[in-house]
Amino acid sequence: MEDQNVQNLEPNTEAAPAAEEAANPLERKVTLRIPAEQIANETQRLIKQYARSVKMPGFRPGKVPLKLVERMYGSEARSEALSKAIEKALTEAIQQGEYRVAGGYRIDPVGDEPAAEGEFVVEAAFEIYPEIEIVDLKEVEVVKPVVTVDDAAVERTIEVLRKQRATFVEVDRPAEKGDRVTVDFVGTLDGEPFEGGSATDYVYVIGESRLLPEFDTAPVGLKAGEKKTFDVTFPENYGAENLAGKTAQFELTVKKVEAPQLPEVDAEFAKSLGIEDGDVAKMRDEIRASLEREVKARIDSEVKRQVFDHLLAKHDFPVPQSLVASEAQTLAENAKRDLQMRGMKVDNLPVDPKWFEEEAQRRVRLGLLIAEIVKQFELVAKPEQVRALIEEMAQNYDDPQALVKWYYENPQRLGNAEAVVIENNVVGWALERMTVKEEPRDFESFMNPNVAA
Amino acid sequence: MSALKERHYQVLLAPVISEKSTMLAETRNTVVFRVAPDAEKHEIKAAVEGLFNVRVQGVRVVNVKGKVKRFGRFAGRRANVRKAYVTLEPGQELDFVMGGSA
Repeated sequence: MEDQNVQNLEPNTEAAPAAEEAANPLERKVTLRIPAEQIANETQRLIKQYARSVKMPGFRPGKVPLKLVERMYGSEARSEALSKAIEKALTEAIQQGEYRVAGGYRIDPVGDEPAAEGEFVVEAAFEIYPEIEIVDLKEVEVVKPVVTVDDAAVERTIEVLRKQRATFVEVDRPAEKGDRVTVDFVGTLDGEPFEGGSATDYVYVIGESRLLPEFDTAPVGLKAGEKKTFDVTFPENYGAENLAGKTAQFELTVKKVEAPQLPEVDAEFAKSLGIEDGDVAKMRDEIRASLEREVKARIDSEVKRQVFDHLLAKHDFPVPQSLVASEAQTLAENAKRDLQMRGMKVDNLPVDPKWFEEEAQRRVRLGLLIAEIVKQFELVAKPEQVRALIEEMAQNYDDPQALVKWYYENPQRLGNAEAVVIENNVVGWALERMTVKEEPRDFESFMNPNVAA
Repeated sequence: MSALKERHYQVLLAPVISEKSTMLAETRNTVVFRVAPDAEKHEIKAAVEGLFNVRVQGVRVVNVKGKVKRFGRFAGRRANVRKAYVTLEPGQELDFVMGGSA
């Protein structure tokens, strides 16, 4: 009894690609025709399947009459049968048409009744991947910065390191910028002391601008034991509301002035930087090497950015909107999680995926383009390339083998490494075809563009 | 007629839908109702004929005593149920399952 209707499940569907629409160049439409008889049979089959497990008061499980089951679950079975049939027919239509579907399915809702001549007619639409033609990149010019790490750069780095390791020595002279001072202060607002406005033995370094500027420079010119009274106007957007925009009076007593003393560049200094035998020349070499590594990484990323920008500019192709939408969704979620990590309440924060659409568009385009290049020019990541990359990264760690292992034990991490290799392959491929122009750049302005600007 | 109609609705409470009732409907042309505890056979016959527009051959009734249920030391009792097995005349039909609404 169970099997009498199971024949005729083959969807005798014909897919006829309808006229393509101009609005979205990637959207394709197919018309699916599904015989009503097939749906009816499938519905019956599903009802029988349900009947075996349905529970109803007054009946032992599985003994519920089919008529009752059909009444309870008939429409459910029907829509399931219909959606299954649509899915199957759609898959077939896609195979027949050899579409590379990107997603974004839209299926026109159909009524319960067959439209005409015992057939369900379903309009289905979806987006396909764009055809990308890789263009000639001959006249594209990539500017590759050339930066040499000179002695001056090394010296400057040493200078920074010295400042970080400065010790302070008490002096008997008026305080200057860069000195560390110990002060007592009492702050009053309209003659009344206010909360958080007073402190004793408060220590800070003048000129590090962690304080309001008036307060920061107040001790300048004062010796230990001297006093000064001055006004501080709090900015309008100050953190404490009762103070914002107001002017308070401070009385400040300098108790101690200490001048910074930079460590000598000697064996001791070298040791503190991790050079075990205290060899200063070796220390300089190490610093130079690490600077060179940094410069190289910076140049690589700069070149990579340019290459990708040029590739995107050269290749104009439509982007499947469904992919953009899901990418934007992902970006929005990441941003939300990021905010949450920083301790913000995100639940009632409306993060609209629309904000990320432009970025998503770029990512999807780049992703498709890279995939296409990789496919056409066989730039897949070779295992030995991945290995080399991971080992190179591992060099910066104390225990390189541990990092290598860490990467290889999780396919997702390995996938990330592979993605990097593929990117590098594509960049290398592009650079072979593009014209590379070298441009000497000054070390300082290259590494710290913000300062130089 | 309206006063009588009202009694009809008071007499018939609900159809009994179970394996047994389905079987009876198929083999004996009999439908089963839960009826009011004070309903009499002739009332039931009149109610079924009046409400469903069928001719009734006979009515048999049964009182089902509610089970005694205890919860801890408290004894309780489920409500008694009166059922009516209504046999229709041959050729008459009454189907509650497929939309044979009252």
